[in-house]
This record gives sequence, C-alpha cells and structure tokens, in this order.
Amino acid sequence: MDSAGSGRVKNKRGMKGWLNPYHYNLERWAYVFQRVTGVAILLYVLGHLGDTSFFVGGPTGVGPSESSWKFISGIVENSFGHLILVLVVLVVFFHGLNGIRLILSEFGLIFQKPSAIEYPYRPKSLKSFQRYLVWVAIALAFVAAAWASLILFG
Amino acid sequence: MTEVKLVIQRFNPMVDIEPRLVQYIVPKREGMTVLDALLYARDYVDHSIALRFSCRQASCGSCGMKINGRPRLACYTQVDELAGGEVVAQPMDNFAIVKDLVVDLESFFTKHRELMPFIVRSDPGELEQPAAEFLTTPKELERFLQYTYCIKCGLCTSSCPTVATDSKFPGPQALAQAYRYTVDERDEGGERRLAALDTTHGIWRCHFAGSCSFVCPKGVDPALGIQLLRRHVLTGKPPRGKGEGAQVWKPAGRPGAQAD
Amino acid sequence: MKESRLMLVQYATAVLAVALVSVHLLMQGVVTPYATAILFGNILSIYRSGLYAVFLESLLVVVLVHGFNGVRIILHEWNQSTSWSNWVDIVTVVAIVASVGYGTRTVILAIFGGGA
Repeated sequence: MDSAGSGRVKNKRGMKGWLNPYHYNLERWAYVFQRVTGVAILLYVLGHLGDTSFFVGGPTGVGPSESSWKFISGIVENSFGHLILVLVVLVVFFHGLNGIRLILSEFGLIFQKPSAIEYPYRPKSLKSFQRYLVWVAIALAFVAAAWASLILFG
Repeated sequence: MTEVKLVIQRFNPMVDIEPRLVQYIVPKREGMTVLDALLYARDYVDHSIALRFSCRQASCGSCGMKINGRPRLACYTQVDELAGGEVVAQPMDNFAIVKDLVVDLESFFTKHRELMPFIVRSDPGELEQPAAEFLTTPKELERFLQYTYCIKCGLCTSSCPTVATDSKFPGPQALAQAYRYTVDERDEGGERRLAALDTTHGIWRCHFAGSCSFVCPKGVDPALGIQLLRRHVLTGKPPRGKGEGAQVWKPAGRPGAQAD
Repeated sequence: MKESRLMLVQYATAVLAVALVSVHLLMQGVVTPYATAILFGNILSIYRSGLYAVFLESLLVVVLVHGFNGVRIILHEWNQSTSWSNWVDIVTVVAIVASVGYGTRTVILAIFGGGA
C-alpha cells in the first residue's frame, strides 16, 4: 500500500506540537517553558553582550570609555530596564533549576526502578521525585525574581 | 443525559480537500464507551464512517485516536469521563490520515523494526541447533516486564512533541522497545541498538516531556525506559543485570553437549 | 562529533552555567550592591584584577555554547532536509565563534585597551 503522499493529509502537529501543551501533563508544560525561556535567555545574553561592550566604547571602541558607559547606562538603567532584568532573573532561575531536574532525570538518577505494575498504571516517571522539582523550580524562580525586585526597585 | 453529542472529524480523500468536523447525536447507554458511540453512529447514522477497532478491551491497540484533544483508546474511554458532555473524535496526530479516523501507521512500524525489537544473539548456530531454552529469572524479568505490555497503539508517538516535527525521530514506542530488548539479559544486540540511537535524530531528541507515559493505556511508561537508556547510549555499553539468570541461561552449545 | 559527545557538552555547560551565572548574579547585586556594581570605576578595577576577567570569559563561553547548541537542536527538530541540517550546523559554529569573539573583545579591550 502506497503510503508516501498519494493525497494524504499530513496531519503533523508541527510547531503547535511543541508549543501547545494543553491536555497534557505538567512535565510537558515544563518542556515548553524550558524551550521558550532558553531562546529568550539567549536573545537577552546577545543583547547583554552588546550593551556591556559599551564599556569599551561599543563596536567601534578601543578601550574603557566612561562617556560611552554613561551613554548606555542612560538607556538601560531605568524602570523599564530594571523590569526586564527582573523578568530575566525569573526565567534564568526557572530554566536553570528545571534544567538540573532534567539532567538528573535524563541520567536516570531520580526514578524508581521498573517493576511489576498494577492497574491503574500510574507511570513511575511522572510521579517520582522529579515532579516535586518542577514545583521547586517554579517557586524558587519567583522567590529569586522577588529578591531581584527588592534590589532593583526597593 | 440521554444523548451524546458526538463530533467526528471526517475526511474522504476521494472527495474532500480538507478534513471537517461533523456532529452526530447518539443515544446514551450506561457505561458507554467512545467506541460504542462511534459504532452506533456508523451502524445507524452514517455507514461511511471509517475507524479501526477490534478487541474493544484495550489489548489490540487498534482504536487509538484523539478524543477531546488527547490521544486515547476509544474502547477504553467512557463517555462519562469526558467533561462537557461532548465527545470530539479526531484521528491521532502526527500520522497521515487515510480516511476519517484511520491513520497511516507505516512509518510507526518501520521505526519500530529498525531498532531490532527481538532478542539478538551473536552465534547463528544457536538458532539452528538449540541445546536449551533461553532462561531468565523472575527478578530479571521485572527489569523490563512493564515494557512487554506495549500494544503498539501509537498513542505515545502521537503525543510526543518531537515526533510533531522531526520525521527521523524513532518515537517513544520504538525507543521504549529498544530499552526492553537492550536491558534483557538474554540479548546480545545492545551495542548495535545503542549505536543506532546515537545520532542527531536519535534518543537525544527526547526531552522528557513525559506525554508518552501520560497517555499510555497499558502503563508501559516509555519515558522511564528512554531516560534509563540514555546513559547507556553515552557509554555505548548495554546495562547488565545482576547476572542471577546468567548461569542458568548460558546455552549449553551444540547438540551432544549436556545442558546445565 | 558523535551526538552523545555534543550532549555531554550540553550537560556539562548546563551545570557550569548554573554555577557561574549564580556567582555572576550574586556579585552584581548582592555581594556588591547593584548601584555600586554598575559604576564605571568599580567595573574597571575588577576587570583589571585578573580573576574576574577569567571568570567572565568562562561564563561567556559556557553560556553561549549551551545556548547556541540548544537552538541548533531546536532547528534540527524543525526540518530534516540535508541542506537545512548542514546549514544549521555551520551557522551554529559561526554564531558561537562570532559572539564569543565579540565578548572576548570587550574583556581584552577593558583590560588592555587605551583611550578615554
């Protein structure tokens, strides 16, 4: 039976398959946020490389330049810039702590061993210690963001 | 409630350009499953509805489909367990639609076969002239027993976010079965399977979203198997059991030799 | 490079990044009060202290390798055609080299650069 093409609707979930975790489990939501925060952090880091380079006069600079640094400070050191920093702290903490959870899981270090199973078949991978770590990551991310707000706005 | 509002995604490749949702009203029976509702609609309302089913008891894996947004077995889903009183039946995601609720599982089985889902032995002579059975202990069996419950329904692969875009990714079913055979102490093909998984689109594209284990109707827990397999792909060496069964199963050799 | 080696790099840079980023955030906002930490003179003296420059350089490499490798993985999952796959690998390496290069330039100019 020909299964290649032949007018079949492809039915692939595509990008929505990654980005839409509705109807699924907590770990699926964590996966979506891990990806989104990862890309967001990378974009922030590239911007951060840009603004910190003004310490030496920007892309065309030759060395430490106080005037250039004052210039960029004027742009980023304000309420809006500080709000961005608080959000960055929030996502960085979530991404990092969830990442630790993923490393522990992906090396199989925090799971119960496979064994004979009974109905109603609650999967061990989804009920182990790793589930608590998702909540720990979320909680600590908000704690860190609150602390950052105190430092930047307090 | 004496009626069920059943919405089925219809698509006839000979006639339709794209799928559409069609509503049917089906009388409700106590303990009615989604499969019961679909078959009523097919038998009494529209004979052209296409769907796969067989055992109606969650052991054949034929009736996998997306019900109210989540991959489920139609025979294993009670109408009453679905909130809102409306049942929306669509074909499983990430497989090409053949017609209505029937999907093309060709790639699913191909990927499963590619990872050698059988006991691989290094000595071909054993198969031709076996001197004893391959024995193992109950304790060893427990290391992979739950993975043997796989009914190849495809729900896990349908729910996987990587399968949604990566056509070269084996999918949770193939990977879990790779684990099942690699961890089996009677198997000697572990290195080959692990090498086959160490590619750009191999086991590393699993990110432990866990949706596979979430939707599996048989408790196979593919996510667990895949995470446990990963570090062995890193080292290239298959996991070895405690070896309790090893003395028992070591084949006695060619005919004429005494079994242990 | 075998994918498992690349993943080992991803995991190693992940762990290092958690450690180094934590230190960076603590230094920038807690150990030194934020208002002092962003002063020109303060930054100049710690760049020229040597250790901080090494620390910043390590942070730069670890975070960018981890980040761009992550994006490479996302892009590989998106499309599997041969040309896309090859371009993704090439662009990833170029992106890492370029961004690490730009950041290193900032560090080097801060320590050795001349000018106002």
